[in-house]
Amino acid sequence: MVLLNVQKIEKKFGDFRAVSDVSFNLEGGKIYGLLGPNGAGKTTTIRMIMNILVPDSGSIEFFGQKMSDDLKNRLGYLPEERGLYPKMKVLPLLQFFGEMHGLTAAEAKKRAVFWLEKLEISDKSSLKAEELSKGQQQKIQFISAIIHNPELLILDEPFTGLDPVNVNLFKDIILDLKKENRAIIFSTHLMESAEKLCDEVLMINQGRKVLDGPLKTIQQSYGKKTILLEYSGDQQIIEQQEMVSSVNNYGNYAEIILHDNYSSDDFLRKICPVLSVHRFEAARTSLNDIFISIVKGENHV
Amino acid sequence: MSKIWTLVKREYSESVFKKSFIIMTIITPLLLVAMGIIPSLLVMMETEDQVRLRILDRTGKLYEPFSSSLQDTLQNGQPRFVHELSETNDSSAVLLGKNLVETQAIDGFLIIPKDVFRRNQITYFSRNVANFDDTNLIESTIQNLADQHRIKNSGLDAGIINELTADIRLKTIKITSEGTESERGFGEEYLSTFILVLIIYVTLLIYGNSVMRSIVHEKSSRIIEVLLSSANPFQLMAGKILGQGFVGFTQYLLWSLTGIGLVLFGSKALPVSSNFLKMDAMIFVYFIIFYILGYFIFATLYAAVGAISNSEQDAQQMATPVVFMLIIPIMIIGFLVKSPDSSLAITLSMIPFFSPIIMFARINLSNPGFLQIGTSILILILSTVFLIWITGKIFRVGILMYGKRPTLPEIIKWIKY
Repeated sequence: MVLLNVQKIEKKFGDFRAVSDVSFNLEGGKIYGLLGPNGAGKTTTIRMIMNILVPDSGSIEFFGQKMSDDLKNRLGYLPEERGLYPKMKVLPLLQFFGEMHGLTAAEAKKRAVFWLEKLEISDKSSLKAEELSKGQQQKIQFISAIIHNPELLILDEPFTGLDPVNVNLFKDIILDLKKENRAIIFSTHLMESAEKLCDEVLMINQGRKVLDGPLKTIQQSYGKKTILLEYSGDQQIIEQQEMVSSVNNYGNYAEIILHDNYSSDDFLRKICPVLSVHRFEAARTSLNDIFISIVKGENHV
Repeated sequence: MSKIWTLVKREYSESVFKKSFIIMTIITPLLLVAMGIIPSLLVMMETEDQVRLRILDRTGKLYEPFSSSLQDTLQNGQPRFVHELSETNDSSAVLLGKNLVETQAIDGFLIIPKDVFRRNQITYFSRNVANFDDTNLIESTIQNLADQHRIKNSGLDAGIINELTADIRLKTIKITSEGTESERGFGEEYLSTFILVLIIYVTLLIYGNSVMRSIVHEKSSRIIEVLLSSANPFQLMAGKILGQGFVGFTQYLLWSLTGIGLVLFGSKALPVSSNFLKMDAMIFVYFIIFYILGYFIFATLYAAVGAISNSEQDAQQMATPVVFMLIIPIMIIGFLVKSPDSSLAITLSMIPFFSPIIMFARINLSNPGFLQIGTSILILILSTVFLIWITGKIFRVGILMYGKRPTLPEIIKWIKY
């Protein structure tokens, strides 16, 4: 089911075209990576989704309705730069954010307590926000984005400033939300974390969509499918395979490139019975490389 | 609507339970009462010293009546003036007198010449000739003696002369809009008006500023982005203005209740609090009305300034024109007290940014009538609504702008946009 439908949105600031002709659909139960270099138009796109900015043309539909302020209660937002009232105590602060998203005071408080417990900072609930560490503030900010159980969650660089333990904590919650059929937009320029989490990728550069689709498909179509193989046995066998397009063979180590319509799995199945394999690596081109090649290519034009 | 309410609730509870609010709420009425009491306290605590006078009486007959007329006493009951007669009356006596003043053995040396009633002049030597109290007293005492002496010499009856030349005092009574009369003079009128107007001025400045600061703060700490994910800019602005407004209103209510209480019971509780508390309870109702109206128009202006600023310093700088609009009516108050019903005063009390202070001052000073008060209030409300509409537009764009300070043409573009 399509949760959010974005059709050819365009936004200009004066003569500057911040976003132009961007279209995409979001479905529940998936994590979408919104990728792009700084100034690509990610924030502008997010702001248009949240109805903070109104697109000059194009349409944004949320649950089949034109995006409006009334629908804001159904989305959650974790901004890149943290914004908490420094002088407010944690519990009233979360209660306030919950109420701002349409929860009753009692419900907001209940959920705040639940999430503080879950993120292991319930002992900090009577401290002021300014008395917390960066990572703890980040957790509060994260709770404020999910306290009202939004159907669409927009996370702008959620992992910056977190230690590995807390990254895992966040990741697990994000994956739980995904299981609950929420749609999650994960905006980042860190390709490694996008690669690990995202189901689909939307890459924008200079205000335009340059790449869009399931992560696997993208990596397959951009990947050169180089296989790195350490083996012992008859080196002829590799060259004899039909699916091999080219090979760089060193005797007990080879770099192999396959024809387009074959996968590395097919190749492994073929050689396994005849060679003894010590190491097999299907080196896919990383999202990072794809990103760099696209951005460089675009910016040179 | 519920979002505005949530915003108001947060703004209110964060401000009202702050120490600074509680302190200011308590201290201001205390200051107000103190201003009524302190002048009389000061008089009571005035340090008084005896004045040692030496008199060289060349007429030979004025010393006795003079010293018996000069019989003021100090707070502690001792005579204010201690006089001694210079025994000799030659030039060495003059030198001696001056010398005694110089060495601080005496405080004043008075020479009454032989022909004092023809020359109309006596000479007074002192280290401090700026003490009006003392010199006036000495002068008027001699004057009285001279008057009596001349009347006596002319053969007229002193009693009749006194009757004929008796002073006429002007007793000023103010008729208020409710038809009640109160005995008031320029001093009390000016003081009470000025104090109330000053409170309006200061609170408009304080609460307008806190609206602005709070917006700048939310902007620079990026809270605004989180808030915008759940509310729209207009709700944020309304929440801010109403929230701080309720804070100010709470304070005003507490003050006004104190004021009304003082008017009703003050004379019993505070016998020294003087005339200045003898005010119409209705004044406090207008006090609240004009504060609220003034608050809305200035809070809106301050909200606009907050939205286009990036830092507090930036905001304070940009708020200067707003502050001027508050200062100008304060500067006019002096003129207003003299002629509260001049056409200039009437005009100024209709201009939206000035009217909260000027109209309120005029209500205090004279009786502008309901038509003028009503018109002024109506103009104020209409301009505030218009201003909120414009500021809403500036606000929407401004709160998401970081970095560069917008120019005036840019702001105008935002309004049109």
